[in-house]
Amino acid sequence: MKWRILGLETHDAYLNMAIDEAISESVRKGSSLPTIRFYNWEPNAVSIGYFQSIKDEVNLDICRELGVDCIRRWTGGGAVYHDFEGEITYSVIAPANVFPGNIINSYGLICGWLVKGLESLGIEAEFRPVNDILVKGKKISGSAQTRRGGILLQHGTLLYGLDLQTMFSVLNVSRQKITDKMIKSAEERVTCIKMHCNADKKEVYEALVDAFTKGKDYEIGELNMDELARARELAQGKYRSVGWTYLR
Amino acid sequence: MQGLTSRRLILISYSSRKVKEGKIVKIEAEFDEFIKKIRISGDFFLHPEEVLDDIENTMVGLEKDTGLDELVMKIQDAAGDAQMIGISPESIAMVLKEALK
Repeated sequence: MKWRILGLETHDAYLNMAIDEAISESVRKGSSLPTIRFYNWEPNAVSIGYFQSIKDEVNLDICRELGVDCIRRWTGGGAVYHDFEGEITYSVIAPANVFPGNIINSYGLICGWLVKGLESLGIEAEFRPVNDILVKGKKISGSAQTRRGGILLQHGTLLYGLDLQTMFSVLNVSRQKITDKMIKSAEERVTCIKMHCNADKKEVYEALVDAFTKGKDYEIGELNMDELARARELAQGKYRSVGWTYLR
Repeated sequence: MQGLTSRRLILISYSSRKVKEGKIVKIEAEFDEFIKKIRISGDFFLHPEEVLDDIENTMVGLEKDTGLDELVMKIQDAAGDAQMIGISPESIAMVLKEALK
């Protein structure tokens, strides 16, 4: 099977999530190859899981104040703060029958590519089911998956740097409650690339591309015009809509 | 965590718990003697996702004092072959019972 690789791009939250869905549609129709893409979020954003309530999870006032976008994902899981400087996000979109039917095993397979990428940077990492990757017992990556219409979409983040202060302020914890103890507690549970090696973000990205493509037949590609048009339509009509954002 | 407010004879109650399978389940329930509406949210995974609507709809009309076993059975029936990750029918039923107290 041949894959299409989409190199590192930067979009806002709405277009990023819409691109994933547009690619899922085109892969389902057979008009695009199974795809792996890498991307950044600009402006910074909070994404919540498909089943979460944005009012429960996100401090919308602080997000407005800081210019942080808020979006509901197509995938389950928890709320994530996406920092332009502090992470690289990936998506894998392919027919579900390419992967193990057992969802945790399929997380393990794709997360294994991330683990290999980290290893090539000299960072020993391990997959921790359901959907996390740990380094020395601390979370460095989280992923989320959906399977719709026979297509598997898994996307996830790899933490390059940490801005816990902002992360806590945009997630639904009041400013008064963002204590030193809370920051310290989070630092004991979460880590990032910068804490383990000197690689810059470009080197990390290149390591991920190598690990994700190893042993695969692939071509470096780009979104086709139909996908881009569909993504713009989904970004505006779905992901920015009040109905979608406040679905739960 | 649990909250309770009254709107005429309909009660709106909320319960939230990190369940034993590892994820957080939050349930808001509207009820009198019968369940009028429930909304389940949380950081869990459910494939296919639309099954959650079926589970919520299945609960509507049940007596508020419906036993845990029957709630579990109803949730299992609605879920069918869906894969739940980080939650289970038992856990959803337990949080719902808490909300209906």
